[in-house]
Amino acid sequence: MTRAAARGSSSGWGWGGWPGWAHLPRDSRDVLFLLAVIGWTLAPHFAHLPIWCSPLTVLVIAWRARLAITNAALPGRWPLLGLLVLAMGLTWWSHRTLLGKDAGITMLVVLMVLKTLELRARRDALVVFFLGFFIVLTNFLYSQTLGVAAAMLVSVWGLLTALVLAHMPVGRPPLAQAGGVAARAALLGAPIMLVLFMLFPRMAPLWAVPQDTQAKTGLSGSLRMGGIAELALDESIAFRVRFDAGVRPPAAALYWRGPVLARFDGQEWTRLEPAYASAPRRGAQLRVDGAALGYAMTLEPNRLPVLPLLEATPNSEADGPRIDGPRAFLRSDLQWATERPITERLRLTARAYLDHRHGPQSDELSLRDYVDLPPGFNPRTLAWAQALRNDARYAQASHERLVEVVLEVIRRGFTYTLTPGTYGDDNENRFAIDEFWLDRKQGFCEHFSTAFVVVMRALDIPARVVTGYQGADTELQDGDHIIRNSHAHAWTEVWLAGRGWVRVDPTAAVAPERVSFSRNLRPQPGVVAGAINAVNPALMARLRSTWELVNNRWNQWVLNYSRAQQFDLLKKLGVSSPSWEDLTYLLIGLLSGASLVGAAWAWWDRHRRDPWQRLRSRLTQRLGDLGIAAAEHEAPRTLARRVRERLGERAEALALQLEALDGLRYGRAAIARPDPAWWSAFATTTAALARSR
Amino acid sequence: MIAAVRQRWQRWWQARHPRSDTWTLTQRNIYIVPTGAGFVFAAVLLVMLLAAINYQLSLGYVLTFLLAGAGFVSMHLTHNTLRGLTLHLKPPQPGFAGQALPLEIVLTSPTRLQHGVGLGIEGDINAGQAPASAVFVDVPAGGQAIAHLAFLPARRGLHDVPALRAETRYPFGLFRAWTVWRPAARVLAWPTPEQPVAPLPAAPACAGEAAQRKASDSGEFEGVRAYRRGDALKQVVWKKAARTGELVSRDTSSALQQELWLDWQLTQLSGTEARLSRLTAWVLAAEAAGVSHGLRLPGVEITPGSGGAQQRRSLDALGLWS
Repeated sequence: MTRAAARGSSSGWGWGGWPGWAHLPRDSRDVLFLLAVIGWTLAPHFAHLPIWCSPLTVLVIAWRARLAITNAALPGRWPLLGLLVLAMGLTWWSHRTLLGKDAGITMLVVLMVLKTLELRARRDALVVFFLGFFIVLTNFLYSQTLGVAAAMLVSVWGLLTALVLAHMPVGRPPLAQAGGVAARAALLGAPIMLVLFMLFPRMAPLWAVPQDTQAKTGLSGSLRMGGIAELALDESIAFRVRFDAGVRPPAAALYWRGPVLARFDGQEWTRLEPAYASAPRRGAQLRVDGAALGYAMTLEPNRLPVLPLLEATPNSEADGPRIDGPRAFLRSDLQWATERPITERLRLTARAYLDHRHGPQSDELSLRDYVDLPPGFNPRTLAWAQALRNDARYAQASHERLVEVVLEVIRRGFTYTLTPGTYGDDNENRFAIDEFWLDRKQGFCEHFSTAFVVVMRALDIPARVVTGYQGADTELQDGDHIIRNSHAHAWTEVWLAGRGWVRVDPTAAVAPERVSFSRNLRPQPGVVAGAINAVNPALMARLRSTWELVNNRWNQWVLNYSRAQQFDLLKKLGVSSPSWEDLTYLLIGLLSGASLVGAAWAWWDRHRRDPWQRLRSRLTQRLGDLGIAAAEHEAPRTLARRVRERLGERAEALALQLEALDGLRYGRAAIARPDPAWWSAFATTTAALARSR
Repeated sequence: MIAAVRQRWQRWWQARHPRSDTWTLTQRNIYIVPTGAGFVFAAVLLVMLLAAINYQLSLGYVLTFLLAGAGFVSMHLTHNTLRGLTLHLKPPQPGFAGQALPLEIVLTSPTRLQHGVGLGIEGDINAGQAPASAVFVDVPAGGQAIAHLAFLPARRGLHDVPALRAETRYPFGLFRAWTVWRPAARVLAWPTPEQPVAPLPAAPACAGEAAQRKASDSGEFEGVRAYRRGDALKQVVWKKAARTGELVSRDTSSALQQELWLDWQLTQLSGTEARLSRLTAWVLAAEAAGVSHGLRLPGVEITPGSGGAQQRRSLDALGLWS
């Protein structure tokens, strides 16, 4: 498209006439370099920008590159303003707002590329530079993997290089030189970065609630079926649990309850804000049986206001969680929540009852919310459910019986896989569940649970999706059960008269080992990995374990570095009970220490003199003691003559020494640095002369 | 009170910046402050830190601190760009008031290659503004670079070379390091020549003939005389000089008769500077016409002659007259 435009309008220069990198004028070269850096920085955003924004970005950058190469004039103010207004309109159209995270990023990208059309002076590089760093930062909102970090490091280096180029006004400095200066500044600054990163006190968010949009396993506040083609298993630890001595409940019984999602708009499952006010007032209506199971949990930051406690942990003085941190409360859907997102490691103790029932016993109005389905979505699944209801065999069947029947359907015809491909690409997700339930029949827990709930609701049985974690690692670590983010799970609850909400896990029906042994099924390898695997399985295993190790370190040392790790560090440094203030003191101490060292170096550097000059001033002083004036410019030879004139015979040795110095300094055998032996001999002679006076 | 403070400040400032034609930049005479861009950068870092806190982005912290580190290091790099440089002003040549006089400055860097050193006249560069009149040079390692500046003297007379400023924002433009240098050299500005040039005064010896003689270009050959300082080279009789070993000059009638006195009294103007301007224009015109000319100012008399040295003598007298 740009190709056609270039051919169509340019008279002198087509793509065939590329003058070559080395022959470009300096300004054009700098602009092209900056455009490449900007393109590189923006590229990760293309995946989630609105549909119009990425083409606009590419077009503008290509246009600007062509202007740079042809040395054509930049567009005037009005076309630019027009473009900006157009982009703002489109942003409004896409996001229905100009504020907020997504709209803000869209606007930032648009501003950045439009600013390149205004790059008149090299000084404009400063604006692009600052915008560029914001865009690098916004990339981290979407992903903080090792790959993204490496790509953004390249961006930062490129932006710094462009900035250095902007401040080299003379000649045509090679890019490598500017790049070297940028890299040097960053490397020299690295110790400062390390110290600040390790010691700058981590604090809770100041006002906004962070939103986690990463497509990986783990909890989030909502669920969107079918959008994820391949689930990246995140092996980082979600939390550790230690049960009271001796108790080790079976993995199949370990359901760690997260957000309960009951509202379905056809696209996304979210928490239900009950239409009937009576339900929350009555609370969870939890009834427990059997022995209490005490446990201690160490929760890694999950950036959600959610405590994934074991089902069911009651809200009583004796059993409820004891936390050193934010206040926790039990929602009416039996889920534990905190007043603010958990952003640092948390320890708590609580008691749970594996045997429990909850929810209303008899049908009531509030349950109507749980059979609600959005009209117009998944008509074939609804028809399938209708057919089941109309089936003569189940005419009198109870709800329990219907649940069994549907589970049997799942057990017989469905496949569990972590790489099901996407569902509902077209028609705004309208037929995603149809596609899953009736056509392809493969997926993982979120497919099974959401489809199951839709079928249940179609059968007029109240049902809801529960997200959380299921199971634990089979091996204990220091006596702790490890629950990883890859243990994240989605299951369902159906309401049955007389029993209340009953857990039903349709994934267990199709892949019982997922639940009973808590085994995470490995995803199918990709093409390259498959090829390596076929040739050399051992290499593949080693590659994978190395990669996992690196990735784990990355998660552990960079992404999950929080106040807890900072305090651990302080403990290693000998602070018995570290606090926020200790961190600050240490940081200030280190920084002022470094400044002192810098100042000392500067002082030393200022007083650093040529060793010959230093010798000279000492010599002048000694001769002064003997009453002989030595001027700055006089050679030792001249001084020797003066010594002979003034002090006569007895100072012959001194005169000879001065002549020797003259030889050492200026003679044929001149030496680079003064000889200390000469000075000691000279000092002895002058001291003797001074005594004899 | 304020005047006293200002005076003290002036004294201190001048003591800090002794006049010298060679100025070596050390820790003591380099100043450094953040630029506007530097403050914006700090604000950007602060916003990025807030974003990192609010979205709990570990990599946000990394990025912010990486940039903070690089910015801090750039302060030292900027300072280092100037440190160790030696500036030397070559003796400036005189020129006319109102015209730009070239100042030639030699920069020496003993150790490193230094980029983007800007030189300008102090006062031209507004703090924080892009130094519009600054000349940028790169100084090679162990080598020299030459910067040409222009000094515009408003009046005639002997001027101190204005205080100069060497400045740099390299590498990131976050900091501005500069030094103020007061060179010891003085530069002479001759009076601005009057425009348009008034007709030369008639030579009093043979007033009627002057214009006609001048029109006949070089005049008739009338004889030779001993060489006098200031005689034009083309007047020298080289053949005779080669024979006798003595320099002799042609004594043309025009040179003889047009011994033109450019006299203060002949300017027919009232203002001192206007008179000096007219005399300056006359000196230039007489020299261009090859007329032997002398200059008479109150208290100053320069005997007639011609050639570059004569012109220089006359112009200097005009420039310095008071």
